[in-house]
Amino acid sequence: MLALMAPSVVFVCFLFALPIVLFLFRAIDNAEIPEALPRTTAAIAEWREGELPPEPVYAALVSDLAALRGTPQLALLARRLNYAIPGFRGVVTRTGRLLPQSMPESPKAALIAIDATWADPAAWGVLRQQSGKVTDFYLLSALDLKRDPSGSVVDVDRDHAIFVDLYGRTLTVSIGVTLLCVAIGYPVAAVMAQATPAAANWLLMAILVPFWTSLLVRSTAWVILLQNEGLVNKTLIWLGAIDAPLALVFNRTGVYIAMVHVLLPYMILPLYSVMKGISPSHLRAAASLGASPVRVFFTVYLPLTMPGVAAGATLVFVSAVGFYVTPALVGGPRDQMIGYFIAYFTNSAVNWGLASALGAFLLVLVAATYLVLGKLVGFERLKVR
Amino acid sequence: MFRKPAVGIALAVAFMGAAAQAQQTVTIVNQGGAPAEAQRVAVFEPFSRETGIRVVVDTYNQELARLRSQIETKNLIWDVVSLNPINEAAGCEEGLLEKIDWKSMVDPRPFAAVGGFGECGAPYLISPGVMVYDADRISADRAPKSWTDFWDVAKFPGKRGLLYQPDQMLEVALIADGVLPPDVPKALTAPGGVDRAFRKLAEIKPHVRWWRSGDESMQLIMTGEVEMGYGWQGRVNAANAANKRNLKIVWPAGYVNAIIYLGVMKGTPRKADAIKLIQYNLAANTLARYAEIMGLPPANADTYPLLSESKRADLPGQYLDRGMMQGGQLYINFWLDNGDAIRQRFATFVAQ
Repeated sequence: MLALMAPSVVFVCFLFALPIVLFLFRAIDNAEIPEALPRTTAAIAEWREGELPPEPVYAALVSDLAALRGTPQLALLARRLNYAIPGFRGVVTRTGRLLPQSMPESPKAALIAIDATWADPAAWGVLRQQSGKVTDFYLLSALDLKRDPSGSVVDVDRDHAIFVDLYGRTLTVSIGVTLLCVAIGYPVAAVMAQATPAAANWLLMAILVPFWTSLLVRSTAWVILLQNEGLVNKTLIWLGAIDAPLALVFNRTGVYIAMVHVLLPYMILPLYSVMKGISPSHLRAAASLGASPVRVFFTVYLPLTMPGVAAGATLVFVSAVGFYVTPALVGGPRDQMIGYFIAYFTNSAVNWGLASALGAFLLVLVAATYLVLGKLVGFERLKVR
Repeated sequence: MFRKPAVGIALAVAFMGAAAQAQQTVTIVNQGGAPAEAQRVAVFEPFSRETGIRVVVDTYNQELARLRSQIETKNLIWDVVSLNPINEAAGCEEGLLEKIDWKSMVDPRPFAAVGGFGECGAPYLISPGVMVYDADRISADRAPKSWTDFWDVAKFPGKRGLLYQPDQMLEVALIADGVLPPDVPKALTAPGGVDRAFRKLAEIKPHVRWWRSGDESMQLIMTGEVEMGYGWQGRVNAANAANKRNLKIVWPAGYVNAIIYLGVMKGTPRKADAIKLIQYNLAANTLARYAEIMGLPPANADTYPLLSESKRADLPGQYLDRGMMQGGQLYINFWLDNGDAIRQRFATFVAQ
């Protein structure tokens, strides 16, 4: 048994669990600052808020920066500090460039002469907050929060607050898609379960064929169908149903249409397998005892199919939360979900700490939904018999 | 018995060596699409014929992360990288690109107008971002003439297409707010400059369809989804050529010039060949061939006399003073310092 499981366990551990843990660790990892500024981060621990640090702290910064001068590490440090204080990149690179060759008599005066930022206690306060081996900076940023120079957690200014809205939007769209999939998928699965085997096979084919097509192709196809001069609008105008084309794509409508289409098979297949297992004699028994068809449905059929609904809804919801390509193609800028920004911070902005923090909260969101759903439906029901 | 195979192996190794010599390759990465196809025909193919060095082309979307991961894993795939001005500066500082003294290899004078060589990269192309409309839908007398017209939805009703990205859009907003294009870097970096640009963008925001790819920008105009829009000249040329359309660029309104650089990947063993390819690409006659296909302004001023009359007419020759250069220490440092914060603010601004 164990030997049979071994390949998949090893595979999951090394290629799935371990990379996820390592990547999540980046959300709190801050080693680059103490490594780049070893003397400064040690010296600054002594300093108390409110006034400028004493000469030894300035001297430590001068020798740290002198060691980094001319290396790419200086630029990386500058970029990292710039996340915390916009504009600090320039201060650090300029200071590194203009640093005197030997230790000046007063390092404090020398640094302040290069850039007035070094005479700002608030800047030193942020530097000290960022000097630990781990940081809550990325996790706070992912929730639109930051620490003010005194160290207490405050909201970022409204102009830059983006991620809380994004999580809300991701949740709204995913729940909407899940509900639509239930509403559309349930009747289809019920019809399939009642149909003759031959008809059921044809229906199954109809559901599976789009499943074999690439996600990218299906999303792009929706753009072509739904655009202003697309097939749908042209047909509706030709029929006289509308005068001006409807806005069906590059907005929330387009995202719902395309995402429901992509995710519908994940809803129908588990539902179908559960419905197939329900013996028709249960329904006949209820009917023969005098229940109306509506009552049969609500007291017998629906409760028996709930495990299928729960399994399908979980699959659809969890996939929807992480969707990225489809909203990027058929949505407008107001419809992008959190996945879009995780990709942006990973690839373009190269801010992997923030990308990991966003991913960590996404994981929490999925886990929380799963637990809530489990409580509502009952976990034991999620087991397909 | 022992000798013959040994001789055979030695010969085989020698031949393989020779074959490897003849099959030298350089891998270049750019943003793909019509500009990359033009570069292949006008630059890489003749280069390979003349030098015997094969050129492999890959595409990326200006993600510096992909350079960094190749360098950190010591698994270099690319040798030559096409870069926008901000990435040229950032990649150079962060040690992703080789520092190269281009001045000692190429005459710098014809490149002065675009700001000369970078510490790492050499400029080869200008990509103007312009105001464009469909002349088949809007007659010349009713056409917009300035960014002020573009912002005037009462006089020119309809949607507007703008790029979903703050760099280029803040600059356009400032031009619409009355800043002369050459003064845009100063106005943007001045205290309150960013707020001013955002205020101007807020005026037109309810009427904007934001686009994210060059294809989308032209699609919006050609299908009439937007009345007029911001677009890149290369895409306008390609759309006109491929679809026989009559899209018109409003040069006098003012435009944004993105300078495109070529740089050498840090630590590549093919550095000499990479430099050879870039030098070839910068030459006036190479860039003339390229401009004949793509119709984009070359960074090398010596190219202009070599162009045909019709191509020169396509270029913003007489409106050079209406172009804003995305370059210079002040401008580049401003974006490196504030880019992350501004991009975040922009995403929030658009979503509200």
